[in-house]
Amino acid sequence: MTEQVSARRILLAPLDPVHDVGLKLIAKALDERGHHTVLLSPDVTAEEVINTALEHDVDTLLVSRTIGYGVDKALGRLVDLAEASGLRDRARLVVGGMAIKPEFVAELGFDAAFGPGTEVERAVAYVEERPYIPQADRAQKEKRDITAGYDYRFHHQAIADLLDQIVDMILDEAQGKTSPGVQRTRLRDEMLTVQHQQAQGGISASQAEETQRTLRLAYSQHCEELITAFYAGGRMPPRTRTLTGSEVANLIAQVNQIKGQWASPRLQHVAGQPLIFVQYGTGCPAMDVLHMKVAEGWGADGIIHFDPSWEARSEGLIEGYVAHHESGTLVTFENLKLMKDALEPATIYQVRAHRGLNTSEMALLAGHAGADMTKVNIIYGSLCGGTDPERLMVDGIEVLRIAARFGMSIDVPANEELSGVPAYKTFASMLIGAKLALRLGARPVLQPLLCYAPDVMIGGQMADNYVDFNAAKFWALQRIVQAPIWPGAPVGFFTHTEDRVQSAVTTALHTALTASLGAGMVIIASVDEAYAGGPIAATSRIDALRAVQEVFRFFGHATIQPTPQAELWADELVDNIEGQLRRVAQAESFTYCLYNDVLATRREGAHPGRFGQGTVTEA
Amino acid sequence: MGTSQVLKRVVDALDVETFLLCRDEEEGRALIQSLLKDMGFEDVDVVFAQHVGHGARLRARAYVHRPGDHYGWLEEESS
Repeated sequence: MTEQVSARRILLAPLDPVHDVGLKLIAKALDERGHHTVLLSPDVTAEEVINTALEHDVDTLLVSRTIGYGVDKALGRLVDLAEASGLRDRARLVVGGMAIKPEFVAELGFDAAFGPGTEVERAVAYVEERPYIPQADRAQKEKRDITAGYDYRFHHQAIADLLDQIVDMILDEAQGKTSPGVQRTRLRDEMLTVQHQQAQGGISASQAEETQRTLRLAYSQHCEELITAFYAGGRMPPRTRTLTGSEVANLIAQVNQIKGQWASPRLQHVAGQPLIFVQYGTGCPAMDVLHMKVAEGWGADGIIHFDPSWEARSEGLIEGYVAHHESGTLVTFENLKLMKDALEPATIYQVRAHRGLNTSEMALLAGHAGADMTKVNIIYGSLCGGTDPERLMVDGIEVLRIAARFGMSIDVPANEELSGVPAYKTFASMLIGAKLALRLGARPVLQPLLCYAPDVMIGGQMADNYVDFNAAKFWALQRIVQAPIWPGAPVGFFTHTEDRVQSAVTTALHTALTASLGAGMVIIASVDEAYAGGPIAATSRIDALRAVQEVFRFFGHATIQPTPQAELWADELVDNIEGQLRRVAQAESFTYCLYNDVLATRREGAHPGRFGQGTVTEA
Repeated sequence: MGTSQVLKRVVDALDVETFLLCRDEEEGRALIQSLLKDMGFEDVDVVFAQHVGHGARLRARAYVHRPGDHYGWLEEESS
């Protein structure tokens, strides 16, 4: 008992033929806090309840009801008797349980009603006449350094040596080269620096304006026509519009009203279960902010920005608070900052920059906006993302330098599997990207997909279950390097359907498998993942988050056990990864490998991209 | 609060889930879309349909606000 709360006398009566566990839990909590409780058995009459309450002179009567049949009659009779006996004048009447709808029982004359899912602590707080404050562990999340604790030590020396040779090859080949993307990135960096200096009062508004004009002009000279038209005359790209000042102001006001006002729940039931990330990119930063707040409210630990696909294939980025009437939200500094500032402090924020002609500038904007993570994979982006290999090599290296500069960890996705490339080749490429990131001072995260990939559909490795081959992929990478190995986005790729129940279940089970494999983070899809007819709805995000929360509760520290076949496949993957890296290390150059089917073949689904072809020049 | 005021607060879409007695999936899809249009929604689609035996399990959607629209929840009185 705390000093501020005096001991109360409470009668707890299950006005129900069978169910009483809720009252037992509340009684236990009240007893532990020093209150005097009397707990009746189920199946008592209203008369017995009232008589017992009078006998013990209670100040609070808590009754519960689980079965819906006859609930109104039973509760009505109890209130009538309480009034007739005089109990109503000196005790508070409270009702709770599965059958209770608060709006209904208030009309009957109860002082309070608690519906299904009410926390024990909330009922205790009511008895003690104090505000209910959610538990501290629910209310306070802290942002984690998601790569902390990993030393990136290679367990497989032969693979480490091959990767070093390949990284040397890449850096030699890229030495002294630049691209329009890199040049724009440097100009954007200057623009943001001027903006910052002006905000700090370091330079005057007129000086800043003049400098920005000069920099924008130089920037637009490295852009294609669509973007140049924006800088020259303010012409917006198709299907986009600038948010109005009042829209932005109202959004910020709404966010400020709710920010920090709720207790964002933990999805994890026990320590060590992975953080949960969701992806956004509805097209509109205002809609995104609403979706992000919904995701946070239902427990998401991290948010990942998706941009429109055409943005990867256009030279240059525009500016401002810009909405897009299609999937994918434009990357502008203003958009990213708006969304970053809307997040709770503990929420991890990532901006993808893993393919395309604006890759390095996106990483820069992410860094300036305060993002915690970015994402790049030169090989995936150039073989399956449409960008010219040489161009993405140059721009990708710039991304890694930017990630190191801003302290952003960097996801190295392995998405070639989605195009049909076998897992071992995909992993060899991912390891090259990770080793390159380490050489340039960034901290990579390996992202193997837990998916039903085309190569596996054909090969039959998942004919029996989704567990073994996915486990083998994780184990293979864990045998090679001590690094964060977390499944790529979203977990369970190609297993979702438009059925929201099936979609939620497959996401939850893949998440449980990920937890069993020791991953620290999972990116999940909404239950609209397989629906292509329109934007993802906010409720679809909640469905997936709730499913994950439930599967975390179900498993706790228990794990999914793969069959012995997983070990065999893991061994095979490690051997094949080494063989693949040996072939790359023996090639004449890195870009030769990309253009000539060494890293993956056209038949497998790897097609060297053409966007940005011929744009790499000597610096 | 009137219907239009409530709809202003819908972040994006309104989903309707039901089981409709129908000959096949095609009829189920047509019927549920027709229902939503009769309710006054214009931007409607069927997210999921599964027909078995005598009826279909359906999830239909009416978009109230699509990304990039002028949202009711961002108007002055909503802030």
